[in-house]
Formats: sequence, C-alpha cells, structure tokens
Amino acid sequence: MKKRQLLEAIPKYIFLSLLAALVIFPIFYVVVSSLKNTASILASSSFFPKTFSWDNYVRAWNLSNFKVYTWNSIYMCATIVLGTIVTSITSGYVFSRGRFMGKKPLLALITFSMFISAGSLFLYPQLNIAKALNLNNSLWGVIIIYIFGINVTNLYLAKGFIDGIPKEIDEAARVDGCSFFRIFWSIIFPLTKPLIATVGLLAFMNSWNDYLLPMVFTLGNPDKQPLVVGIVSMKSSGESVTSWDLMMAGTVMAVIPMLVVFISLNKYFVSGLTSGAVKG
Amino acid sequence: MSFFKRRKASTKHQSLYRKDAIQSYIMLAPMLIGFALFTIYPMFWLIQWSWFDYDGMSTPKFIGFENYIRAFTRDPHYWDSLENTFIIVIAKFILEIPLALFLAIVLNGNKKINSFFRTLFFSPTIVSTAIVGIVFFLMFEPFLGSVNQLLKAFGMIDTNVNWFGNKWLADLVIVIASVWKGFGINMIFFIMGLQNIPQDIYECADIDGVGKWSRFTKVTLPMLASTGKVVMMLFIVNSIKMSDLVLVLTNGQPGGSTEVVMSYTFKYFFSYGAADSISQYGYSSALAVITALVLTVIVSLYLRLTRNMGNHY
Repeated sequence: MKKRQLLEAIPKYIFLSLLAALVIFPIFYVVVSSLKNTASILASSSFFPKTFSWDNYVRAWNLSNFKVYTWNSIYMCATIVLGTIVTSITSGYVFSRGRFMGKKPLLALITFSMFISAGSLFLYPQLNIAKALNLNNSLWGVIIIYIFGINVTNLYLAKGFIDGIPKEIDEAARVDGCSFFRIFWSIIFPLTKPLIATVGLLAFMNSWNDYLLPMVFTLGNPDKQPLVVGIVSMKSSGESVTSWDLMMAGTVMAVIPMLVVFISLNKYFVSGLTSGAVKG
Repeated sequence: MSFFKRRKASTKHQSLYRKDAIQSYIMLAPMLIGFALFTIYPMFWLIQWSWFDYDGMSTPKFIGFENYIRAFTRDPHYWDSLENTFIIVIAKFILEIPLALFLAIVLNGNKKINSFFRTLFFSPTIVSTAIVGIVFFLMFEPFLGSVNQLLKAFGMIDTNVNWFGNKWLADLVIVIASVWKGFGINMIFFIMGLQNIPQDIYECADIDGVGKWSRFTKVTLPMLASTGKVVMMLFIVNSIKMSDLVLVLTNGQPGGSTEVVMSYTFKYFFSYGAADSISQYGYSSALAVITALVLTVIVSLYLRLTRNMGNHY
C-alpha cells in the first residue's frame, strides 16, 4: 500500500516540478539576463552569462533615471499605504457600526459601482478632475485617487473584520461616555492589527505595480515617473533594443521588492487577496 | 413621573443617535467626496461627452447620436477589437480555469511540499501586469528573446519565429502571459472552495464504491459550483477589462489586430505610442459607454445563466 502511494506520488511531483520550472522561468530569465553585459545579450551567445556583472544595475542607477524612478515609487507607495490604511479602516468602521440615514443605499451604490466602473476608461475624466484641482503632472493626483477613491475590496475587508469584533466592547466604552469617533480611535483601531497588515499589503502591491494611472499622470514628465512606468517607457522609446540591459535590470528592481515582501508575508497576501475578492 | 423619565431617556438616546450620525458623516466625508469625484463623476462625464464632438481644444459641438452611429456603422476596428477580446478571454478560460482547478485538487492538503508549490504557483499574481508585459515581450522577441533561442537549441525550429508578426501568434503570447499571471489566484480560490466541502460526503462516496473519476464529476464538481460561479464571474469581468497587458506587450501590433476593446478605446483618449493621432474625447466616450453596456449585458447574462448553479445542497 505504501509503495503504491509512493509510485502514484512520483509522477505527480515530477509533473508539478516541470510546471514549476515553467512558472519560474520568466523571472529566472530576467534575473539571469540582467547579470549579462550588453554585448552578450545582443550576441545572444548563451543562456547563462559567462561572467556575472553588476554593470547593468550600476548603469541603470547612475546613468539612467532609475534613482529617480525608485525614489518616486517609494514615496508614492509609502504615502498610499499609510493613507489607505486610515481611510479604509475608517470607512469600514463607519459602515460596520455607524447608524445614519442612507447607510444601506450608500453601501449598495459603492458595491454596484465596482461592476460598472470601466477601469482604464475612467482615467481621462479622473485626469480632468485632477487638472481642476491642480494635481495633474505629479504623483500626488495618483496618491489622492488611491487614498480617497473608495476601494471596494478594502472596504469589504475592513467592514468584515470589524463586524467580527464583539459589540459589547463598544457598549462598554459607550457607558463610559466615549463618542462614536473616540470608540473608533482608542478601541477599535488598535484591535485591527491583522487588518492593517492585509490592507497595507494590498495597497502596497496595487500601487507599486500600477501602470496606467501613474503613467497618465506623469505623461511627458520622466522625472516624476515611478519604476514601472519608467521601465515601460524604455520599451516604447524606439531604441528598445539598445536598452535591453537596462530594461532587464529595471524589471528585476521592480519585481524583487514585491517578491521579498510576498515571501515573508505570504499568509497575509493570500488571505487578503482571496477574502476581499470573494466578499466584494 | 415615570412617563417623564422615559421621555428624557429617549431624547437623550436621540441626541446620541444624531451625534453618532453626524460623526459618521464627518468620518466618511473625505471618502465620499473621493468616490463622487473619481467614480461617479467620470461616469457622468463619459455619458455627457458621448453626445459631443470634442477634441479637448476646439469648442465642443453637440452632435446627438452621431458618435454612436459612427461606432456602429463606420468603425469596424472597434468590433474587431471586441471580437479579439472574446477570442482572448475564451482561450484564456480554456487554459486557465481547468489548470487552476486541477492544481487545486492536486495541491489541496496540508503537506509542506503542497504548500511550497502553492506559494510558488501563486507568486506570478503579485507581479505588475505591465512588468509581465515587458518580461514576455523580451522573452518572445524574435531575435534576442530566449524562447526562440531555446526552441532552436532543442531543434524544434530552424528559423526564428516572429511571434509578433501575425495576429494568432501574438494573441497566443498575450494569452500565455495572462494565464501565467492569473492562474495562481484562481487555484487559491478553488482550494478555498475545496476546503469548504464536508469530508463525510467523500466517506459516503467511498462506501458506495465510487471510482476516482466519478468521485470528481459527481461529488467534487457539484460541490464546487458556488465557488466556481464567483471565480468565473471575476475571471470574465477582469479579462474583458484587460488593457495594460496588451498595451505593453503588443500595443495592438501587428496592425492593430491584437487590440482588445479597452486598449482600443483607451487610445482614443490618450495617443498611446503614436504621436500623430488627435484625441477624440467625444467619440472615445461613446465607445466607453458602449463597452460598459456590453460588459453589463455579459455580466447579467452570466448571472442569469448560472442562476441555478450551486443550488445542489
């Protein structure tokens, strides 16, 4: 019996390993190529580099705009993560515990908007608004849209989590004379640490990875572009063949932080991405 | 006396309620303004300008249904892009959903090695879609890309395949890239569904001597129906909305044949990758409205068709 199980398991794991190799390959390929020097990329002599060189990274960092791109990505993401945590959890709390007129229709409207929103086709009107508020041509428009435009997934994540906190806690605080806001600030918010982790991670992932929104806001303004936008703009700049090496290095720089965060906080990622999507 | 007391209590209660409500509104206000500005307003903006001839510079001119007539009668490229969207969505569906389901069944369980593979297969999900586009562009590049080099090294092709040279090959690359990015999360969804199936059903099936295959078709699949319904819904909506992958990977090349509906419409707003085109906001708004309607029709059709799915227990 044991032997038969083992015999069945071997082909299964051989198949899974092959598939895993296929799945890893794109990332692996980019990492390996980023360590080749330009000549051997262009000569396409061998898959593995003969000598590993960090030259591409040094050049990307010093000569190209990557120092600026990276800094832009970092400050954009950091601001969005902090802001989204506050706004998502606040709105989750209000929709979970608040008693006010129009709560149900409002929630229904927000949920419904997720289905009709035409994604990238909203970008132009959004840019128009930002123009009216003098926020176009910088990443602050992106930051504001991320933080204050309601993200339905985050809202449902936060509402679901706070629904699960026993109401007795609020009532005890209420007897002690706490206001609605005080209850949130001193009692509920400190209890939401796992939620903060999940919402923060999702916000980090979405903003670090986003392309179209920051692209539209930094059109023709390379000094304000985040990493992803900067890398893609190299592809369409017409001289893409000569900048392969930089594109490879840049891609690694854009992917590795995400992968590191993902591997170390895997649990929160999976739970956040799945529960939010299914509930929403 | 007691009447008086109760009344006092209830006014106190009411004023508390009002205070709560006011605080709720104040706490919610920034987000509601954001929602109104960045979700509701764009919707009305698109609907409004779809009736105008408007390029952003000259004065807008009201032209009634003209934009819609143009889309329906004189713009075959839009319908080509819609058709191409469906081709990509269907091909992606055929590859991605069975793969995700199969992996979910194989990797369901708490063994360490299973969770290792789960993490690994999930990892493409966290890579930026635009970066996926770049990576697959570099991989499939005809002359320097690794795919052609490897295929040559293994003797499967003699000359370089021009992956971006015709519609079908380029579509294939788009489908592969998007399956690569998307199958991991669907696998996790299916695993969550599997874990909600009570184990005693399987025990009953075992007692009845049900074979492996019918155990899958008669027990697992029906029990997964409600999960599958949600997964497929998200899949359809997200795949139809695909835009940045196509913009980055092929940008519609060759000759606009791999354009999908979102990327096609997007280019009427922003002249992406072409400096000479003039943006036509009125017309693009009309296209956006049509696209949103198509999406709504598909979603409601889907909901109607799957109404009875998942009602097995």
